Amino acid sequence: MRRRTVLLASALGAFAARPALASDARLKVVASFSILADLASLAAGEHADVLALAGPDVDPHAFSPSPADARRCAEADVLVMNGHGFDSWMEKLARSGGRKARLVLATQGVATIRARAAHSHGHSHGHSHGHGAVDPHAWQDASRAAQMVRAIGRGLGEARPAASPAIAAQAARAADELLALDSWISGLFAPIPKEKRRIFTSHDAFAYFGARYGVEFRAPRGVANEGEPSPADLARIIRDIRRENAKVVFLENISSPRVIEQVARESGARVGGRLYSDALSAADGPAATYQAMMRHNATLMRDAMVA
Amino acid sequence: MPGPYDLLVAPFAEFAFMRRALVASVALALGCGPVGVFLLLRRMSLVGDALSHAILPGAAAAFLVAGLSLGAMALGGFAAALLTALAAGALSRVTPLREDATFAVFYLFSLALGVLLVSLGGTGIDLLHVLFGSVLAVDDAALVAIAAVATASMLAMAALHRALVVECFDPEFMRATGGPGAAIHAAFLVLLVANLVAAFLALGTLMAVGLMMVPAAAARFWARGVAGMIAVATAIGAASAYLGLVLSFAADLPSGPSIVLVAGIAYAASVLFGGAGGVVPRILPRAHLRG
Amino acid sequence: MIVLDDLTLAHERHPAVHHLSGRFEDGSLTAIVGPNGAGKSTLLRALAGAHRPSGGSLDLGGLGPRDIAYLPQQAALDRSFPISVIDTVEMGDVGRSGLFAALSGAARRRAREALAAVGLEGFDDRPVGTLSAGQFQRVLFARMLVQDARLILLDEPFTAVDQRTTADLLEVVRRWHDEARTVVAVLHDFEQVRARFPTVLYLAREAVGWGPAEAVLTPANQLRARAMAEGWDPEAEACSRGAA
Repeated sequence: MRRRTVLLASALGAFAARPALASDARLKVVASFSILADLASLAAGEHADVLALAGPDVDPHAFSPSPADARRCAEADVLVMNGHGFDSWMEKLARSGGRKARLVLATQGVATIRARAAHSHGHSHGHSHGHGAVDPHAWQDASRAAQMVRAIGRGLGEARPAASPAIAAQAARAADELLALDSWISGLFAPIPKEKRRIFTSHDAFAYFGARYGVEFRAPRGVANEGEPSPADLARIIRDIRRENAKVVFLENISSPRVIEQVARESGARVGGRLYSDALSAADGPAATYQAMMRHNATLMRDAMVA
Repeated sequence: MPGPYDLLVAPFAEFAFMRRALVASVALALGCGPVGVFLLLRRMSLVGDALSHAILPGAAAAFLVAGLSLGAMALGGFAAALLTALAAGALSRVTPLREDATFAVFYLFSLALGVLLVSLGGTGIDLLHVLFGSVLAVDDAALVAIAAVATASMLAMAALHRALVVECFDPEFMRATGGPGAAIHAAFLVLLVANLVAAFLALGTLMAVGLMMVPAAAARFWARGVAGMIAVATAIGAASAYLGLVLSFAADLPSGPSIVLVAGIAYAASVLFGGAGGVVPRILPRAHLRG
Repeated sequence: MIVLDDLTLAHERHPAVHHLSGRFEDGSLTAIVGPNGAGKSTLLRALAGAHRPSGGSLDLGGLGPRDIAYLPQQAALDRSFPISVIDTVEMGDVGRSGLFAALSGAARRRAREALAAVGLEGFDDRPVGTLSAGQFQRVLFARMLVQDARLILLDEPFTAVDQRTTADLLEVVRRWHDEARTVVAVLHDFEQVRARFPTVLYLAREAVGWGPAEAVLTPANQLRARAMAEGWDPEAEACSRGAA
């Protein structure tokens, strides 16, 4: 009788020891889309395996998760989402999937900008407001991206307390890298006079970039890719381009290219390449990581301004 | 307050994209007019909408094979919709299930298939959004395609006119006199699909079917014969295109819905005031004739 | 000459016309009479090429679709269709000019003459939806006049039609007979048949009588016809009768 109790106790003890073994394995992190996944990788380093549900060149607005995605979420330790209506499907997945995963809001504590109204002006406001729809594209500002990396790091640390200090240090290093990137971008635009810092593009996703680096963006309409632009919208943009003699207009890698091509044709400008707004490019493309994406976008924009 | 020139002419004078939009939508009105009238007379009004969903799996399949090529997707869409139209058309002639049920089955199937194929492609790009553009984004290639389809369609419908009238009015007579009823019906479906695909390419889903059906419905209240209906429907379609563009430019509204809205207003006016069955002429007391 | 040899016409395997043999001579004027469900309409449809025999044969003696004018019992056509009287009648010209060639002035003239012959002169531009039943039937007869067919099949052409129209259209039938066209009509009114139709086929799935009207329209035949069951036999087995 006693031997059996001892056996049972040691078996139970062996079971109890298993979590300790598991904590040596890397965290399983699932991020809603590619850019967030890259930020999470920066924050976690070797402490986590990160994958994205909406991958490179996939429009997160139009993404609709499959059962396989739900399974990945259920098996994850940490889920990372952006919030502010950008990837609300992630929230649903988190709720319906396993309770095991911890949901991290990457934009926790990050100051936001209100979404632009239907008529595009040139300017955006600098502070977050409680009312009105919030523009979710905070990562377009490298300094805010640094904050996001720190927020992700905190969330990962809470999921793996044993590794928390190491993760925090990694996240701090990554945030510093992004701050360096932030300075680099500012420096890129510094020599350009304010009147020339104007970019014509088809998609209104660069409000944060514009606010941070002093660039004015003109786009036909809308924060998301919904809604047809009105002819008055196009007319305004074409007149603007003609008036300012802008030489270059931009497409983005997810929205419909035909409208902007029409605008380019009619206003005499040329299409200056693709800006990456809501997704990274494929691995062999120019924007395979967050930093590559920001450098690519900034360089293209600077080239367009001085053209 | 802008003057009539500013409202009615200036947008087209100043902007090439407005001129293109006008030419494209008027061309489409010309092509869709006759087709819409016969669709209405054969009680197939919702078939246009159903076929629009059949375009998606073809476009999705083409996208999987050839990538984001508008020409390939248009071709694939055309093939898929045509297949659906012919199969459903044949089945509704030969089986007890009539057109409405047969087409409903096919369109639901195509829709599901299309969604499946799009998800297989994995990029999640909104295929419909990419494929079915806006009237403001009509480029040279699309304009040529639309003009070609409209011209060919008008010529073909003129040649088929009498045959279609017989087939619609008295299909038993067509059969009994040895007429090629099935072939006529098939030719009509081909023209229908061609016009729909051309319209989608340029104008998007809403506008395409709207431009086909609403003017035809309005025309019913003005004309007593099929030829008259076609003339009126085409005129209403073209006028709606022009006025819709004017309205959308002036009021900063999206153009596709504006055009269909104007057509809808024309329909309402026709229901009320149309000479052939309008409400008001029937209610108003008028002196009767001598004989 | 149209020859029926042991002809069986079935609906879902139940015979509507059962082992019928006989012939319609060229230029004959035949009335088909019989109880409901006796296969009269089905026989006419077979003559018009719309129903395939399930047994036996039907030889039209070389007549093709262009030589046959067929007026079904219930018109499957859409009365609300926006078409005028003259365009409807002109349709009859399809055998001559086809569906795609432009219609000649001669075609329109033929149509007008046909309208006059049925008493609808001046009705050219009226939409068919505004006509009475009688007027519409006249239009369909006018169309058949234009068709200029050698075989004319009429399925209960005078049901729901007024007396004056009936009389006028029977005149058209007489004219066709005078022109040596073969006319076969399904009718219900025995008096009408006795007065106007020299040949009668009394059909009750099988031939009760087929020959001169006086010989066929007898009380004895009426009794025999009445004995025919109207409904399908749910327990019928496969028929093994061959040609008589």
